[in-house]
Amino acid sequence: MFDRDIWQEIYHSISNNKLRTFLTGFSVGWGIFILVLLLASVKGMQNGFTLQFSDDATNSIFVRTGTTSLAYGGFEAGRRIQMTNDDIEYIKRSFPDDVEYISPRVYQNTSARYKSETGSYNIQAVYPDHQAIEKTIVNKGRFINTNDLMNASKVAVIGRKVEEDLFKNEDAIGKFVEFNGLPFRVIGTFTDDGDDNAERNIYAPTSTYQKMYGQTDHIDQIALTYNPNYDLTEALAFSDRLENVFRRRFKIAPKDQSGIRIFNYAEVFEDISNFTGGLDIAVIIVGLLILLSGIVGIGNIMVFIIKERTKEIGVRKALGAEPWSIIKLVLFESVFITALSGFIGLGIATGLLAAIGPSIKTGAFANPSVSMSMVVTATIILIVAGVLAGLIPAMKAARVKPIVALSDK
Amino acid sequence: MIQIKDLHKSYKMGKNSLHVLKGINFNVEEGELVAIMGSSGSGKSTLLNILGMLDSSDSGEYILDNVPIKDLNETKAARYRNKFLGFVFQSFNLINYKSAAENVALPLYYQKVPRKERQEKALKYLTQVGLKEWAGHLPSELSGGQKQRVAIARALAAEPKVLLADEPTGALDSKTSYEVMDLIQKINDAGNTILIVTHEPDIADMCKRIVHLKDGVIIEDKKIEQVRAEQYV
Repeated sequence: MFDRDIWQEIYHSISNNKLRTFLTGFSVGWGIFILVLLLASVKGMQNGFTLQFSDDATNSIFVRTGTTSLAYGGFEAGRRIQMTNDDIEYIKRSFPDDVEYISPRVYQNTSARYKSETGSYNIQAVYPDHQAIEKTIVNKGRFINTNDLMNASKVAVIGRKVEEDLFKNEDAIGKFVEFNGLPFRVIGTFTDDGDDNAERNIYAPTSTYQKMYGQTDHIDQIALTYNPNYDLTEALAFSDRLENVFRRRFKIAPKDQSGIRIFNYAEVFEDISNFTGGLDIAVIIVGLLILLSGIVGIGNIMVFIIKERTKEIGVRKALGAEPWSIIKLVLFESVFITALSGFIGLGIATGLLAAIGPSIKTGAFANPSVSMSMVVTATIILIVAGVLAGLIPAMKAARVKPIVALSDK
Repeated sequence: MIQIKDLHKSYKMGKNSLHVLKGINFNVEEGELVAIMGSSGSGKSTLLNILGMLDSSDSGEYILDNVPIKDLNETKAARYRNKFLGFVFQSFNLINYKSAAENVALPLYYQKVPRKERQEKALKYLTQVGLKEWAGHLPSELSGGQKQRVAIARALAAEPKVLLADEPTGALDSKTSYEVMDLIQKINDAGNTILIVTHEPDIADMCKRIVHLKDGVIIEDKKIEQVRAEQYV
């Protein structure tokens, strides 16, 4: 199939029409180049979005309560909904297979003091699970554990900024810091990829704060992560179920938006992936259309080549060339030109992306790149394109009648 | 070698139909050197095209080397042409970007002969036509007579049963024409069957038999005393 004669034919045909071959090849190479860059850009946007949200676990759900805005179940509007520790246990019992990590959040402002340094910070009183939910990176010491929670220990995990502000050059671990006048032992410090503000937070056990402030079991927020194996639909279905259960539990009208709010990252991701998915399709269509003009160009050139070589084809047929061998000749040439120029375009595009892609990282755009599967797909598209471009000219060539080609008198 | 019985062929020209061959009967034995003569429009080229399987007849029988030639599709015709026939054309029809040797090897390529064997055979036939030293040259570097000799070598390379030559000397001056005829005579001496279409009487006289066509019928079919071309070279 790939004998030397065919390559010789192709070589001859191309070298006799260098400029023409280059110009047509260029259109295909350009088409692939643009297609790859466009797809890589969409990938870059996707990467950018994902990066922006990857600070928190992407499978997390936050439950907040507020004041009802609609009268429901015998209650008037304007009722304040208060969650308690029981609600955590209730979720754990109701959704044992869905929930991965769960933690309440109790918010408290505090003025902190260490020696002569003071500052005002937010305290979140949480469960040990919270570390996994927020993806808190403990760089020194440890996070709150179950013992701290059971004993309502006065311990705190402070952000890097807090340590910087209060302890200056000292190591905070094991030191006592005063929160609103009460001493807490620093058991760990943490950093956060998200932003500096997160590093101004302080974590403490929920039970400690509930005891300190009036022996309540009130909580302000529930943060949880669901089964990481869930896909988007399952994730959304789970948050819907969760919301229904809570609305029933607290007797909140189904349409009441202010009584309870459940925020699911999956919703954001659904929007993003809908958006980038749509963009992907648009880009593929645009790219293929550009490629199409290249294919038509190659088909056009092949028709010309056949016309020029009608006589030669006639001679070949008189000498015993079967129609298939003529078709093969034309198709190979077409595929060769298409594939070669396409690969050059593909190579330049991927080379460019490999060179400058990783250094691009601005806001919602990061590391535009192409996947291996995209390269393979592009290759298949190119070969199919080459066959399509050569098909009509090849049929034309196969129909050349030797008798017509040879009538030279 | 060739048996033709009651061969008819007409072409449709709009509403009219032009009856070109009106019942041709003739046989060619192995080793014959036949000239087919006739003025233009006599049907000699049509006859050659049918003999060469480049065209089909409307009715009649054509048997080549005991194989009835009928119901040909493109692929089958190509195979038969390759196996049975060698063509020599007036305008040589060499492929201009292939060297003399590659041109000669082309029919062998379509017979799927391995490359090395093709090259050996091509060289052998080029030697036979006296162009061994020109094997690597392109047609554009050869004279008209040399081109036709390469074309003859190409026709011989496939070792066909019959050689069909359509005005082989039509584009050559008389001296070169005689050289080519000398070559054709020698090939015929070696036992090859050859049919030549020509309208030049001196070329026809160098064959062993002359078939005269006029208005689609054979008006004369005679064996003649061959004039050797050697004496003019």
